[in-house]
Amino acid sequence: MGPHDLLLCVMLLALTLYAILGGADFGAGVWEFTTALQSTRKERRHIYKAIGPVWEANHVWLIFVLVILMNGFPIAFAALGKALWFPLLLALAGIVFRGASYVFRSYGRGTETERTLWEVVFAIASTATPLFLGAAAGTVAVGRLAETTTLTGWMTSLSVFTGFYAVGMCAYLAAIYLTREAHIAGDAELLILWRKRSLSTGLWVGILSFAGLAMVWIEAPTLADGFVHRGWPLILISLTCGIGSLIETSRGNTTRAVLAASGAVAAVIWGWGVSQYPVLLPPDMTALDAKAPDNVLWMMLAVITLGTVLLFPALAYLFVLFKSESETSS
Amino acid sequence: MLAETLSQAVQENLLPARLQMAFTLGFHIILACLGVGLPVLMLAAEWRFLKTGDELWRTLAKRWSKAFAVMFAVGAVSGTVLSFELGLLWPEFMGQWGAVIGMPFTMEGFAFFIEAIFAGIYLYGWNKLPPKVHWFTGFPVAISGFFSAFFVVTANSWMNAPAGFDLVDGKPVNIDPLAAMFNVATGAQTAHMLVAAYIVTGFVVAAFYAIPVMKRKSDYDKRAFGLALMLALPMVPIQMAVGDWSAKVVAKSQPVKLAAMEGQFKTERRAPLRIGGIPDEVARETKYAIEIPGALSFLSFSDFNAEVKGLDDFPREVTPPVAVVHFAFQVMVGIGGFMMAVAVWTLVSFMKTKTWPQSKWFYLSILSLGPLSVMAMEAGWIVTEVGRQPWIVQGYMRTTEAVTSAPGLWNVFGITLAIYAVIGTATVVVLRQLARVPLEEHRDGTP
Repeated sequence: MGPHDLLLCVMLLALTLYAILGGADFGAGVWEFTTALQSTRKERRHIYKAIGPVWEANHVWLIFVLVILMNGFPIAFAALGKALWFPLLLALAGIVFRGASYVFRSYGRGTETERTLWEVVFAIASTATPLFLGAAAGTVAVGRLAETTTLTGWMTSLSVFTGFYAVGMCAYLAAIYLTREAHIAGDAELLILWRKRSLSTGLWVGILSFAGLAMVWIEAPTLADGFVHRGWPLILISLTCGIGSLIETSRGNTTRAVLAASGAVAAVIWGWGVSQYPVLLPPDMTALDAKAPDNVLWMMLAVITLGTVLLFPALAYLFVLFKSESETSS
Repeated sequence: MLAETLSQAVQENLLPARLQMAFTLGFHIILACLGVGLPVLMLAAEWRFLKTGDELWRTLAKRWSKAFAVMFAVGAVSGTVLSFELGLLWPEFMGQWGAVIGMPFTMEGFAFFIEAIFAGIYLYGWNKLPPKVHWFTGFPVAISGFFSAFFVVTANSWMNAPAGFDLVDGKPVNIDPLAAMFNVATGAQTAHMLVAAYIVTGFVVAAFYAIPVMKRKSDYDKRAFGLALMLALPMVPIQMAVGDWSAKVVAKSQPVKLAAMEGQFKTERRAPLRIGGIPDEVARETKYAIEIPGALSFLSFSDFNAEVKGLDDFPREVTPPVAVVHFAFQVMVGIGGFMMAVAVWTLVSFMKTKTWPQSKWFYLSILSLGPLSVMAMEAGWIVTEVGRQPWIVQGYMRTTEAVTSAPGLWNVFGITLAIYAVIGTATVVVLRQLARVPLEEHRDGTP
């Protein structure tokens, strides 16, 4: 247990928070994408209002993962940059268009057509970003980094799967989160709609998760081995949380459903991390191979500890201000 | 065979990778400047509202906060592009030096986080928070914007003046991240950039209101114009001093960059300061320049007889392209001189009449300083980045050694240009739409 292990935990935690909080924001856009032809103005307003104050803070978790890699595991950062440049560029285009179209749509005072145009861009970019980030994650899991010198060399059937799985997970999180927002706003019509969507997406993503395990079994045997030996409790936790989130949703305990759904997604990510440990980039680059010298890592941990003292109260303030239940439908 | 094709790919990638980095950085830095400077203006306007109770100040702060929201979001995503590009375009650079150079990025992660959180609170909290509390939530935005810029520029200053490690067998060991962050170039370079950010914000905002104020449109425009000038103009003489400090640091730590900036080919005592001129790299001299004898020696080393190293004293393969660096430097200094003249003019007028000059030429000068200040800042970055070539880490790693061997970089660059053209145009369109909204409409508080 060295400083690199602690730093790995911090990085995985940041990745988890990005997947949950950033994922729910992307998922809201995924819903706009998939319901483009039938959604009402009111439904879209509900979505935009929910992500307004928080999406930028949620986006920073990704930057956080990136700087930890860059500073703490520079060799892994370089290897990822070389191997995944194509899917990461595509994800970047998605990130740029998602953020920009959101503010253009919110602050622009142009014609109805302009507004609709940015809504369309927002919906497409919100779907594309998790798709490519998820696909990149799949390529890492399979351990194909060394072979990706060509344009499509990074693509494997697992990475195609993880791309769509990530989109599904975002949609599931968003549905659960938006059910809670509808509940807080006291809008019965939206509550019914989002409850229905939560239950159906939850069910589908649950089934997909098992399909995913089967694919890991076939394509990434080392990772599968890790799941069998170490990661399996997290699969159980994810399953329990996932089922729990659906039960709580149907019972109308929307806050508990949000916590359970977040737990389900967190367990998937930690399950991956724990099963792959100590390998950082399969097949064989461990955290120990990729890390910066220990004194740098200790200093990073000190900086992160100090930073967290500032960060968490600020984050708590943001979420209490805009996401707590006492803040009713104002 | 494989090594050969790889090195060929690297040669071909150098230009598109550099253009890509330069373009995306040049785009981001404008938004970054406004992200650092605008919160200060917002806070000042809101402070006037709290002091006087005059709703017009609040309206001004609110409108600026909306412009800030748009620019902060576009700045955040274009900044994300840059942090990815460090790995996507320069993987060898990050792999080799990430441990040394990474600490300011880790710190910047927190500064950016705090900025994003409080930007959300400030922008969406106008009607939710008591006025004073709302005003206070703007402070972390301004402070963390300042520190974000500071941390990022320390990383760049390290590339100019590497420190905080020993090189053993081509690998950095005994890494001291703090010594790397606080190298000899850090002080001058970070100060130069931060002051530039406030100047750019001040002039860009003032330029926006210059014509309405000239036409005596409204009290609202006048207040906005005056506040923006109060941010920009006092910073101009400070920037002169900081720029001088910066040149002295470059003279010591990167003499070859100084020589390129000044078009100084021969090593000489009593080196002249050249104004304008065209460096001729074949004839090894700078032609048609106005020369002030001994001034370069004095400005660089505080001694008219000091020896200034010329480009001819360095091997050809480690000298930067002289013409670009010299020209960009002249543009930056020239615009700086113009700013200084306008600042002095305003000061004289202020002492006589308690207001800024009322002449048409004054408003037109401020109008031109909007784009010109941005140009000066971009020119400054060209000086520091092109002036360091062929090195990515001065004296330790060449840019050719750092670049990726990924295929298709020209295509990526083309697509990037197209995407940024769309985003850039849309940003301007949305900002103009925001500016055209009648004043009353802003009172309802909806974002």
